[in-house]
Amino acid sequence: MALLSASPSQPTQSAPMKTSRGPAGGPRRARANPSLVVSVAVVCLVLGLGLVFPVLQVLFTAMSPEGLDAVGDLVGSPVNQQVVVNTVVLGLSVAAVGLALAFLFAFVQTRLDVPFKRTLHVIAIVPVVSPPFALATALVVLFGRNGVISQGIFGVPYDIYGLDGLTLALALSFFPVVYLTLLGMMQRLDPSLDEAATSLGAGRGRIFRTVTLPMLLPGLASGFLLLFVEAIADLANPLVLGGDFTVLSARAYIAITGDYDVVSGAVFSLSLLIPAILVFLLQRYWVDRRKVFSVTGKPTGRPHLSRSAVAWVVYALAVAVALLIVVIYATIVWGAFSAVPGVNNAFTLSHFEFVLFGIGSEAMIDTTVMALVAAPLAGLVGVVVAYLVVRKLPRTGPALDFVAMLGIAVPGTVLGIGFVLAYRAENLFGGVTVIPSLVGGAAVLGGSVGIVMVLLVRSMPAAVRAGVSSLHQIHPSIDEASASLGADDATTFRRITLPLIRPALMAGLTFAIARSMTTLSPIVFLTTPDTKIMTSQILAEVDGGRFGNAFAYCCVLMLIVLGLIGLVRLVVRDRSARPAPTIGALTTTAAAVPPTETPVPVGAVPTKE
Amino acid sequence: MRKTMVVLAALALAATTAACSQRAATGSGPSNEVIVACGAAEDWCQTMTAAFTAKTGIPAKHVRLSSGETVARLGASKESPEFDVWHGGPADGFEAAKGQGLLQSYTSDITKKIPDKYRDAEGFWTGVYVGALGFCSNRDVLAKTGLAAPTSWDELLQPGYAKQLSVAHPATSGTAYTTLFTLVKLKGSEDAGMEYFRSLNKSVLQYSKSGTAPGQLAGRGEVATGVVFSHDCIKYQEEGSTSLQLTFPAEGTGYEVGGVAIINKARNLDGAKAYVDFATTAEAQELGPTVKSYQRPTAPDAKAPPQAFDPAAVKLIDYDIVAAGKAKKALVQKFEASVATAPKE
Repeated sequence: MALLSASPSQPTQSAPMKTSRGPAGGPRRARANPSLVVSVAVVCLVLGLGLVFPVLQVLFTAMSPEGLDAVGDLVGSPVNQQVVVNTVVLGLSVAAVGLALAFLFAFVQTRLDVPFKRTLHVIAIVPVVSPPFALATALVVLFGRNGVISQGIFGVPYDIYGLDGLTLALALSFFPVVYLTLLGMMQRLDPSLDEAATSLGAGRGRIFRTVTLPMLLPGLASGFLLLFVEAIADLANPLVLGGDFTVLSARAYIAITGDYDVVSGAVFSLSLLIPAILVFLLQRYWVDRRKVFSVTGKPTGRPHLSRSAVAWVVYALAVAVALLIVVIYATIVWGAFSAVPGVNNAFTLSHFEFVLFGIGSEAMIDTTVMALVAAPLAGLVGVVVAYLVVRKLPRTGPALDFVAMLGIAVPGTVLGIGFVLAYRAENLFGGVTVIPSLVGGAAVLGGSVGIVMVLLVRSMPAAVRAGVSSLHQIHPSIDEASASLGADDATTFRRITLPLIRPALMAGLTFAIARSMTTLSPIVFLTTPDTKIMTSQILAEVDGGRFGNAFAYCCVLMLIVLGLIGLVRLVVRDRSARPAPTIGALTTTAAAVPPTETPVPVGAVPTKE
Repeated sequence: MRKTMVVLAALALAATTAACSQRAATGSGPSNEVIVACGAAEDWCQTMTAAFTAKTGIPAKHVRLSSGETVARLGASKESPEFDVWHGGPADGFEAAKGQGLLQSYTSDITKKIPDKYRDAEGFWTGVYVGALGFCSNRDVLAKTGLAAPTSWDELLQPGYAKQLSVAHPATSGTAYTTLFTLVKLKGSEDAGMEYFRSLNKSVLQYSKSGTAPGQLAGRGEVATGVVFSHDCIKYQEEGSTSLQLTFPAEGTGYEVGGVAIINKARNLDGAKAYVDFATTAEAQELGPTVKSYQRPTAPDAKAPPQAFDPAAVKLIDYDIVAAGKAKKALVQKFEASVATAPKE
């Protein structure tokens, strides 16, 4: 797989060598820019091999006669109809609650004059690093029928299993990304609009309703849709907290693990793909068209920060949620040190011994290495995709964007099985081995190539989103200035665009690291004796009822992720010579982009052709 | 330029999708290595492979997988299996794999020592441990609700048990399916068995996905009793859930057999055979208890750990593994249609 490993360097290193000789190097053809061709080819290859080919393999399986039987079963059986309804209900409720949380925190950050905003911000983004099962198991320990809080403090045997518990766990896990997006949008809102409305006699509430909200609508809508997709695709939480409330992702997993029926598993998973795709199409064609440009020039003045009684109520709500997050993560840490979390709280180090020096140590190293390979690739390829989508491919860009986003929309189980079907055997083309076996024990590098590919396509979408939203803020005239000075596309990308979207790249990298370290559902089909992955070990520990070990794994996992993120921040910061605008922390997605440029409407990006 | 892009994209996609012909992966690495798909607990898997290598000198590696994942992975890589041996996990999984042509038959003088009821008649799998279903109850919750530790399936139906019981769902858990089939046997017919579960529905707090979860729910005091394999209950007790108490139904209980089998087209057939022989010996079967896996060994000359159920004290029903495997799909569908979807009070 030399192709894959070379992919990110292609557009930035090898290509300029051919073309960056400047005007003296002979007449340059602006139309068929080689670096552009190469980068498009590389991106297509990555997406084709990592996503399209495996998913197509599953589709072919599902279209076999047995598969069609399973489709009939899915449509016909009332049990399965209930499962579909449950899935949609769960998606909607998680989207609503998650969006409310994201908005609450963004509102506190941008509109309220209250203490400890910085602390609240950090707490709100902690769940970006939420290992599978960690939140769900912590919630059971805290709020289960015999929970430390529900029974211990309030004396209520609350039944957390089902829709309520699932909604809470999923909303908390996924809201930070939406929060960061909303925060960026709200920070960029032009206060002069508020001032204009005030001078026209509008009250605070009216301004919020008629000025602020309409401008945030696209952000709110896309956040809602993102949460919906994440919620219905999640597997770990429904397995722990589902109770009798079965959703499609769990049903698919059950079909495979309980009924030994891969075909119906594939069918269930693919049915999950339908709402996911619909949601992305909706976003593309409905939300994007209703985009309101909030930045029209330099912001004048600062937004009015409220300290009213209502403000304090809102603040209290946010603090309460933040406390819940702190308590949950404290439970994870505390659970890792107690014999049987919530039951026998005797202090013990045996769980960490198990993870650090026993069975888990191998998985720890393997997982970190995989993430270290996959995350930078995902960050770079993601930003290149974003660049192509926004700047270079006005027609085909949306399609490319859509395919890249399938990385999270495709249920992990489908991707995992697809990889086994596609890459377990050697792929021949005209009798010659084109792709050697990439998956399983006998594969190249102990199957790690397959795992890295899965992590790559899984964690790329976050980088793409971050890159796209950031690039929309940079006026193409900067690129054009660079081009008129004789730089080609690759040079412009490397010297001009990349430094400007560095914060977005950072955010993308951060999400990519967090995601590649916490991906579970495709991984269970790809682990080999040589490559053990922590999340699948966590699954085994939760399955075996050893919550202490699972919590210890989660703690170690979180520490590694935080360490890696810190490392990335150091490395990326050192490399950049120019003082790029930094707002710091993780607000980078959209917030740290210089708010001085006029944004470019989607689909109307001027090109240099 | 745009045309170039489109053509390039189309080419890339075509190249990936057209590469349809596949060839079995040729092995890399030391050829005498045995790769084990291991359905037992992680530490047991590790102990087993290490002991096997120490005994035979053949290197061995394992991946821990649930039975369903194993069958799915084996099915997806039929022509070039990743594994040589499958060790651990309930026999119904092995039956499913056998039905899909994923296993190959193997018997030897050593495997023939295992009693007939604990191995496949055609030799596709051999039982290496047995576990019996029991009631895993939390003494504190029992005291609070005024219930006694149950000694009969019918005691679980009493009103005091409302929402105090946890069983796994038979569609997702081999343990739960064993429970279902056991009650069909005990009650005499499928309908009578279903009738029992319909009445039981009032007692059940939730049908968990994993077969071991009911024991954990009981351990955390979320329910009074969970129906699990007895060795799991003992394990939770020893790991710190000290208020757990194990009882057995007097009218008889079902059991699971954990198997070992050779994968069809295994790359290292000789190594696989050596592993199956090793796993069947008393020596290997006595390793489980050293890592808190207290299943009862199947080898007649193996010493059972004191934590395993005692066949002299626990009444086992006549559980037909093959019949159970054949009836599974229909029974589970019946259960889903008439029990688990019934509205809860």
